[in-house]
Amino acid sequence: MDLIRHGGTATAAVLAAPGAVAGATEGRTERMGRVAVSGSVRGAVRADLEEIFRRDYQRVVGVAARVLGSRDQAEDVAQEVFLSFGRSSVPTGEARGWLSVAAAHTALNLLRSGRRRASREETAAAADDAAISDVAEVVVTLEERNRVRTALARLPRKHAVALVLRHSGLSYADVAAALDLSPGSVGTTVRRAESALRKELNRHASSH
Amino acid sequence: MPHPTEGVLRRLLDEPAGVTDSDRQHVTGCPQCLGRLATTREDAALVDAALATKAGEDVDLSAAWRRLSKVAPATGPGRAAAPPPADRLRAAARRPVVAALAVTLVLTGAGVAAANDWLQIFRTEQIAPVSFSTADLIALPDLSAYGEVAVTGDGDVHEVADAAAAAAETGLDVPEVTSLPRGVSGEPAYQVGGEVSATFTFSADRAARAATEAGKTLPPPPPGLDASQVRLVAGPGVAQIWASSTGVPALVVGRAVPPSAFSSGVAFETVRDYLLSLPGMTDDVAAQLRTFTADGSTLPLPVPAGQVTTSSAQVDGVPATVLATRDRTMAAVVWVDDGVVTAVAGALDDDEVLSIARDLR
Repeated sequence: MDLIRHGGTATAAVLAAPGAVAGATEGRTERMGRVAVSGSVRGAVRADLEEIFRRDYQRVVGVAARVLGSRDQAEDVAQEVFLSFGRSSVPTGEARGWLSVAAAHTALNLLRSGRRRASREETAAAADDAAISDVAEVVVTLEERNRVRTALARLPRKHAVALVLRHSGLSYADVAAALDLSPGSVGTTVRRAESALRKELNRHASSH
Repeated sequence: MPHPTEGVLRRLLDEPAGVTDSDRQHVTGCPQCLGRLATTREDAALVDAALATKAGEDVDLSAAWRRLSKVAPATGPGRAAAPPPADRLRAAARRPVVAALAVTLVLTGAGVAAANDWLQIFRTEQIAPVSFSTADLIALPDLSAYGEVAVTGDGDVHEVADAAAAAAETGLDVPEVTSLPRGVSGEPAYQVGGEVSATFTFSADRAARAATEAGKTLPPPPPGLDASQVRLVAGPGVAQIWASSTGVPALVVGRAVPPSAFSSGVAFETVRDYLLSLPGMTDDVAAQLRTFTADGSTLPLPVPAGQVTTSSAQVDGVPATVLATRDRTMAAVVWVDDGVVTAVAGALDDDEVLSIARDLR
């Protein structure tokens, strides 16, 4: 990139890659309140980025997709999360938890901001997921999925993140460490979130 | 004993081993708790089904990594590894975008007579967009497969404290933004980088080997091309970056000495025609590049095909190129004046970037 960066200036990089600037991602990361991202805006990224990317990308996409229900948007979120991570000083041992929490927060932000794409993509995603519903032996309609996501956006943030992380396969100990909870309270938090979502579905079902 | 909490019941579903023996025994013998457990299980299954997704299962990891690598340019050897700058630059020089630029620079040098010494054959005087699809970029030949690429100069981009420090390091007039658009505030971060040059020495042997490995037929190199050299020089540059809280760069104002190319004595028509015949150069891109060759001074600016619209404008009497993403989320204007390229880009519309550009001091 260097020739372009020097020669073509930042334009090519910026156009080719919205969000390319490290500083731009710091606000969100700081709001997460977990780990300080380096204040530097230089281009260099941490040496273990590729290794961790290859190990955890799939999981990060999975976390974001549970919130958003869209593969494309989930991959966008994952890119943003790894970009922040690449410029952070998060210890390697804590990377997985950090990435999962960051993916959940970023996806929930997107969900809440209403910048979601039209339903065509969601319908396609739901068709993809039909097999999973069968496996779970629970039939969830597309409308219900959307309602659950709307309710998810209204939950207290910590409850929503704990719920998504747990359903993404993180252990109680991992969720507890990632959210500064005691392992005992993870069950309570997840249960309350599930109960709230269930009520949302029931409320809607009984009103018809 | 008291009934276990709802949190304990929830964990019992997922991690029975995480629940105490006494709680487990209680639940087994307590109809009320078994009822609560059943409700808990139903809710968990319903929510799990509602959140279920296969999106993470068959992601294209390589494509995703390429995408990230484009955004985080120094990916690979990081700060901790601290390789010599030249190695980092050489690694960067292998990237498709750099290869594309290098190829296009060489190509646009066509029309200039052959030179017997290091002779300037290309100097950026204007910029025009060339539409590349992602596939085109990846398919473009990596120059290092066709010869030796040596990078010199300290191109390390780093942050400096303020405009004065940036000006002192780069020798450039740092543009001053007189009024920030709505939604952008605060002080920018200043990044600077020094001059970088890359010398490409064509190797017929290596090119033949690369083609064989790729299972493609390389056109025979014309006489005189073997061991001929092209040198590209670019920089220094400075960028001012205003971050926004939404995760999108709010505004970037950059200025740099744009690339020039020099030849060690090869006829550029020869190099151009040869490079245009290489496997990987699509007809569309080749056709676009041929239109640039009239004066040998137009820098091709690769833009993603179909995602960006381009138009022309004037900034202080100089022709400028305006680029805007089709979803209207970003725009940029770029122009060359007196051997210096300036760009204004951000999460703005084209009128806003033009207005900032025209008000720069």
